Amino acid sequence: MRFVSFRPASSVLATAALLLVAAAPSHAQTRAETLRYVTGASVNTLDPNIPGSTRESFALSMSTYDRLVAFGRKQLSGKWVFDLDKITGELAESYDVSPDGLKLTFRLRKDAKFQDGSPVTAEDVKWSLDRCVTAPILGKAQLLTGSLTSADQFKVIDPLTIEVTLPKPDKLALPNLATVYPLIINSKVAKEHATPEDPWATAWLKEHTAGSGAYVIESFKPGEQVIIKRNEDWNRGSPDKPAFFKRVIVQSVPEPATRANLVERGDADLVVDLQASDVQSLEAKGKLKVISTPQYNSITFVSMNNQIPPFDNVNVRRAVAFALPYEDMFKAALFGRGAPLFGATWPDGKPLNGIYPFQAPVKTDLDKAREYLKAAGLPEGFSTTFSFNVGQASTAEPMAALVKESLAKIGIKVDIQKLPDAQMSTQINEKKLPLFTEGIVAWLPSTDYFYRNFYTGNQRWNYSSINNPELAAIAQEARFEPDKAKYEEDGRKLNAIHFSEMPQIPLWQPNQDAVMASSIEGYTYEFHRQVDYRDVSRK
Amino acid sequence: MMTGLGATVARAGRRLLSSLPALFGVLVFTFLLMRVLPGDPAVFFASGPNAGKEEIEQIRKQMGLDKSVPEQLVFYLSDIGRGNLGRSMMTGQPVLKDLRERLPASLELTFTALLIALLAAVPLGVVAALKPGSLVDHGVRLFCALGVCVPTFVSGLLLIYVFYYLLGLAPDPTGRIDVFTSLPPQRTGFLSVDFLLAGDIEGWWAACKQLILPALSMALFVIAPLARITRASMLVSLGSDFVRTARSVGLSWQKVVVTYALRNAILPVITIAGIVFSTMLGANVLVEKVFSWPGVASYALDALLSSDYAPVQGFVLLMAGIFVLVNLVVDVCYGIADPRVSIG
Repeated sequence: MRFVSFRPASSVLATAALLLVAAAPSHAQTRAETLRYVTGASVNTLDPNIPGSTRESFALSMSTYDRLVAFGRKQLSGKWVFDLDKITGELAESYDVSPDGLKLTFRLRKDAKFQDGSPVTAEDVKWSLDRCVTAPILGKAQLLTGSLTSADQFKVIDPLTIEVTLPKPDKLALPNLATVYPLIINSKVAKEHATPEDPWATAWLKEHTAGSGAYVIESFKPGEQVIIKRNEDWNRGSPDKPAFFKRVIVQSVPEPATRANLVERGDADLVVDLQASDVQSLEAKGKLKVISTPQYNSITFVSMNNQIPPFDNVNVRRAVAFALPYEDMFKAALFGRGAPLFGATWPDGKPLNGIYPFQAPVKTDLDKAREYLKAAGLPEGFSTTFSFNVGQASTAEPMAALVKESLAKIGIKVDIQKLPDAQMSTQINEKKLPLFTEGIVAWLPSTDYFYRNFYTGNQRWNYSSINNPELAAIAQEARFEPDKAKYEEDGRKLNAIHFSEMPQIPLWQPNQDAVMASSIEGYTYEFHRQVDYRDVSRK
Repeated sequence: MMTGLGATVARAGRRLLSSLPALFGVLVFTFLLMRVLPGDPAVFFASGPNAGKEEIEQIRKQMGLDKSVPEQLVFYLSDIGRGNLGRSMMTGQPVLKDLRERLPASLELTFTALLIALLAAVPLGVVAALKPGSLVDHGVRLFCALGVCVPTFVSGLLLIYVFYYLLGLAPDPTGRIDVFTSLPPQRTGFLSVDFLLAGDIEGWWAACKQLILPALSMALFVIAPLARITRASMLVSLGSDFVRTARSVGLSWQKVVVTYALRNAILPVITIAGIVFSTMLGANVLVEKVFSWPGVASYALDALLSSDYAPVQGFVLLMAGIFVLVNLVVDVCYGIADPRVSIG
């Protein structure tokens, strides 16, 4: 008997090879004027105010809508970052703060137009801000942190002037207006699509835009890609000039290794969410530009539930703080790419300044940890669980193994729990996890803001469930403290309480590693931790 | 002949009807399963900075989770009855729209992969069966073992590394079509077909190039079961009386092997191909992730991770429906391969 011919199989292989050999078509003319940004996440709504909207949606809205004001930028150790203290006009040509700090007056630019050509008026601004504090959307909770709570606070003075009244001189009122949510919507268009059940047109604005921003939506495929094209009339960035790129493609590529390949091959221009190991190897090759900025408004920590035993005992918390293998974790999880929040020296045992997050004088010291355990009455140790969510696995998994190993040395037996993201947030919300790692971020990183939101009250963001009346009182007081020296003093007190109570253990501020083609310029680390497409240009 | 066809259609219809209770069971079961799973979608989706209790309650209300489970089930069933699968929190779109857009992508990929797998596996199986124990047989076995041991995402990443990163032959592995290519008018949802219908050969070529690597990495994984089954049933068939008879009367080897042996050996291959197809469609999530393929499986996985109920339920229902259809098609194929079999 003879063999059956191999022909069918080999012809398949031949066809496959043939298909692959075909040359890629060239798009040279448009390519240089196009920014192709790849990301592991995706845009799910065109209005960032919709509950459930992703960070990519936040970033997109920065380009499709304008706000009254915007953050300036500054250099932090040679890298551009957003500047919380420098607030410039975006739709506002100028603004005044009254001497008592209770009135903010914004004068709108005369030349500002919505993308449909109609002028931006104070009426539109009022409608948009009213929407932000009235409609059941995300902006409500954000603006609350700047004492902006009611539509009565926004008053139209004339078609180009709007006045905002505050109940108290709140430092965060103005910065709040530069955040993602209080975007200015073309109220005439939006009202056409409002319904009695949905007077603020939230359903319509989820899938359509009606703004004055630098870019217009060209196509929007939720979960896949968004293509935006330049609004030629937009001049809010630099006078008489629109944004640099004619088109921006925001594309979802879930696999991090693929994103790294794309940017290395030059098919993608910019990516900010690569794995630390890939960033390191790309940086070593030196072909691409890598800008690593410590995310100075975010913190990764190990948290303990201060209400459930044994972590209700401060000495147990201190024992854990001195038993964590900081250096090893920093290397294994982040490849050292970040700013450590451990290993400080406080010469007189007091905080060096009143800024949160602060570098704490903790380091791995197992003898000290054992002493604390003894003082807590648990010299033999105990058993507990250490949880992290699947979404953070690439950094948290190596960390968890090291935590387990190190805590075992002082007798604390740790079971590692890897939880799906939704399950993790549920358990955190219900305060059920004894020991876990999480990250937090504040758009407006001021000391009192961090302490009020993340260390007070029986609410979800109080991860450690700390209930310390003194801390809560100082943080609340600091919020409206006009005197800078006193504010600093309050900050020092808060940091001292944090260190002595050790409700949770700040570890580090991970880097935002932006990897881009060497021709890309102007990248700035923004408060929303995504790319503002208006910042970047090509050489 | 007409009556035969009519009877087949009628029987197929009856089969479909009788699968309705099973589909209903799947529907209710998935619904309950999603509610039993730990993880509160409202908490997850309210995770913007500052989202507090109020936001969580609001999302809960929006998703209808503030009602009791039986009430939710009744609402859900009546929605399904009206053809509404709910809305995904994740993409912000109606689930039906998401699935309708993504299913063709998954189907196109799976069909292509299955075609490649069959074209490779059947000849491989036949060759191995013709010379059992020979070097060729062992070679095929090794190839199959390799294909099955290497997980699809590893072979996918390897293919990308070699053909895209090193050689630069393949286009960037980001979805169904190069971002700079304009799409053809949507007719079937299968890009390779739509481009041909639109007469855009260049576009068709671009779509095929995107398709080939993911399809190949999926095919590699399923060649093994198909080739092994082909080999086993070919061995039985080659050792049977009718093949001995055919050989003894001096028929050409082609007639013996292809017409008599293979035709009789193909039934179990069809069965396995049907099962493999259904599994691939649901389980190709890794390939979809690696190649950024906008298919239904990665959609369902993302939804599952974030406890987004509606898409997961919609996905399971869709898969159950497809499974029913595939089984039906397999049965019809039986009839064609072996006229003695009739679906009943």
